[in-house]
Amino acid sequence: MVCGSISLTRTVIGLLIAFSIQGCVKSAPETAQVLHLAHPEKVKGLDPIYSDDIYVADEASRVYETLFQYHYLKRPYTLIPNLAEAMPEISKDGRIYTIRLKKAVLFQDDKCFKATSRKGRELTADDVIYSLKRLVDPKLHSTGAWLLNGRVEGVSEWHQAAKDSEVTDYTKEIAGLKALDRYTIQIRLLKRSASFLYSLAMPFTGVVAPEAVAYYGKDFSNHAVGTGPFRLTEFSQNRQVWVRNPTFRTEKYPSEGEPGDREAGLLQDAGKTLPLIDKLVVDVYEEWQPLWLNFLSGKLDRTFIPKDSFSQTITAGKELSPELTAKGIRLHRFPLLDIVHLTLNMADPLLGKNKYLRQALSLAWDADRYNSIFWNGRSIPAQGPIPPGLAGFDMEYRNPYRQFNIKKAKELLAKAGFPEGNGLPPLIYNATADSSSRQATEYTVQMFKQIGVKVKVETYSWPEFQTLIRNRKGQIWSYAWNADYPDSENFLQLFYSKNASPGPNDSNYSNPAYDDLYERAITLPAGPARIALYQQMVRMIAEDCPWIVQVHRMGFHLTSPGFGNYKPSAFYHADAKYYRFDPAAQVGSAGKN
Amino acid sequence: MWVYVLRRVLSSIPTLFGVALLVFILFHVMGGDPVYQMVGKHASAQQIADLRHEYGLDQPKTTQFLRYLQQVVTFDFGRSYATRQPIRQMILNGIGPSLTLAIPAFILTTVLSVLISLVVVYFRGRWPDRLGVVLCVLGMSVPMLAYILLGQYLFGYKLGWFPISGFDAGWPQRLGYVALPALIWVAVATGYDVRFYRTALIEELGNDYVRTARAKGLGEPGIFLKHVLKNGMIPVLTNVVIQIPLLILGSFLLERFFGIPGLGSMMIDALHGSDFPVIRTMTTLGAILMIIGNLATDVLYTVFDPRVRLS
Repeated sequence: MVCGSISLTRTVIGLLIAFSIQGCVKSAPETAQVLHLAHPEKVKGLDPIYSDDIYVADEASRVYETLFQYHYLKRPYTLIPNLAEAMPEISKDGRIYTIRLKKAVLFQDDKCFKATSRKGRELTADDVIYSLKRLVDPKLHSTGAWLLNGRVEGVSEWHQAAKDSEVTDYTKEIAGLKALDRYTIQIRLLKRSASFLYSLAMPFTGVVAPEAVAYYGKDFSNHAVGTGPFRLTEFSQNRQVWVRNPTFRTEKYPSEGEPGDREAGLLQDAGKTLPLIDKLVVDVYEEWQPLWLNFLSGKLDRTFIPKDSFSQTITAGKELSPELTAKGIRLHRFPLLDIVHLTLNMADPLLGKNKYLRQALSLAWDADRYNSIFWNGRSIPAQGPIPPGLAGFDMEYRNPYRQFNIKKAKELLAKAGFPEGNGLPPLIYNATADSSSRQATEYTVQMFKQIGVKVKVETYSWPEFQTLIRNRKGQIWSYAWNADYPDSENFLQLFYSKNASPGPNDSNYSNPAYDDLYERAITLPAGPARIALYQQMVRMIAEDCPWIVQVHRMGFHLTSPGFGNYKPSAFYHADAKYYRFDPAAQVGSAGKN
Repeated sequence: MWVYVLRRVLSSIPTLFGVALLVFILFHVMGGDPVYQMVGKHASAQQIADLRHEYGLDQPKTTQFLRYLQQVVTFDFGRSYATRQPIRQMILNGIGPSLTLAIPAFILTTVLSVLISLVVVYFRGRWPDRLGVVLCVLGMSVPMLAYILLGQYLFGYKLGWFPISGFDAGWPQRLGYVALPALIWVAVATGYDVRFYRTALIEELGNDYVRTARAKGLGEPGIFLKHVLKNGMIPVLTNVVIQIPLLILGSFLLERFFGIPGLGSMMIDALHGSDFPVIRTMTTLGAILMIIGNLATDVLYTVFDPRVRLS
């Protein structure tokens, strides 16, 4: 009996190994153009109106197209038509956008199209209007409603009517959103907005088919019926498999870029029909080790570099290690267009009323050392909220309160009424309970201690933390902001008083002079006048110091030898159609180990 | 027996109520407002208020608690805050992958543990016993995370015997993906089980009936397999049966590191994303399964030991 059991155990182990090896053989290098990408978090769904989650945005934009898109290669980021036939005609007062759509753009074939026997029908202006209405439907609680609410005529009224009714009536018109004919839409803004056009390139505004929404109902988020370059063949939160959409309209790879693109091989496919790959497999790796090992073994084509592995991967000169270079792996560096900062709550009776105290804290905080300890020296110490790469960023500007200067900090602290910190009660640092946050908190405590300021740390779960700051109750905390679109306005609106908590102005900064500049700037067209206002606002923020600006992060990506045409972008959502994969280049390098 | 079962079921109601109350207090009274997680970074005060209304979070706490109790009773746990999918569906989707890993790992662990325990007890005090104990302590002392990291690196990456991570919903491909995590499960759990079973069996060996059997001239293998094993089954059974229902809940670490889309992984995601409806559902489900496990153990006692009477 005992022998029998042992034999059974051996059989089971043998079978497991046999199945494993079978699995490995199946995942051996493929010959088709199949690209394998990864997400570090599960993909919660594919409904574009919830694209606040970047992984939802990334996946949804493979199938749901927007009216405009960013040129894949040009920097600074440049909008070009996507579903739109051309750039919009904008009225002289900047309020009315007339947009003509491309003809013969087809939705993918799907069983939801009963009237056409499952054949995907042509996309029309009504579909665009329907999709924008979904964005502001109060029953759907989209995280992108802010793009249209308070900006487009009639949206607030439509929103209220929908809220008051049992079922949202999509036949009811929104005054500022109209389909003029089958291929033309008109959007009327409440007032001129220089950044509005970017909204129409954000994944939130991807165009969906009303038939698909009706057919799949509450399960719509697990399906994808759009006009995009890829067609979904498998969806789970852990894995998404996309194949080339056979009915995708003709779109060509760009034939011009920025200097250096040709030398980097990014124009090799100029003029070729998109998408270039046959299949895209996206797997979720919530832990770093399996992601990294799969990348090294050639089963994954792109990875980021976590800070704990940075020194083993990147040399002191910020180049890729010789071992990885020899494998044909390539390193891509790019600015993330973000800002990491400490918020000083202006609604707090102590911090909010004492400018010298805030300035002293800012001067006592060493950004260079922080960059070295927490970001492997790869970030850019910030001088203001606007990141490099956006119009309004001034490379020459040095924030007078963003230099590490203990002597001056102590002088300001004395001026604030607290010489050497005497008489100042311990400041409260509100932190989340994760290890990275705790380490950064410890750093800040030590920084402020140098000038005699004591800090008491209070830790919270993420929802408690959110509740605290959205209710204006915290005192100091760390936060970051990623650009929604490539306009400095997206960063400067973080200090506009009407956006105070629970809105995105988490410091609750309120300055009528600043508000006035902001309101003037957002209606100006792009150009020197607007940039001048932006720079004036940055200086105002530096003086009032509602934030201690820390760093702008840089992205470091690695790609496999077979992965071609990769140009990282801060707005990369719909980029997969440009990617190329060369199986021959993959085999013999990273694919073998 | 049925009266006993009914009484136990009824007596578990206050326990479940207590669990439900505790979970509710933890996440609805002491925790933060979950709405801020859902509204996005540009939300206005009005949007926040609308969403709180939609989820009933603006209702009095007692009303919210009663609604939660109703959900527990009807097994309709509502929708996840994070994915907006029905939680019942998410659980049904996750059970399969969890059990694909848990069942073979559990069976293998149990069979191996009982066999090893019998061997080490049979040779108690001699080198196989000592070696077994050392290996068990070693197995228990090394954290599962170390096994995972080493296993993925050595067997997945370097030797290529197993996939490093991933999951395939098809059969039998999915077995290939759970093989390495299952073996790690066995390596970690066997140590605990062998230690426990060894102690239980040694205790049995000290009983009078063993001496009587020896006095009657029965050989050691016979004593072991016919008497000691059967009587020693009660603690083994307790340990095994109580674990069975909990297998459904999956393994947090293994599922997360190996990318298995089971309930353990779902729970970790819910904790990370403060997805309260999922957390409270899984906690309540865990409590129910624990109660079922306990009850099943008590009932099975009577099968293995006729001296035990349920009353």
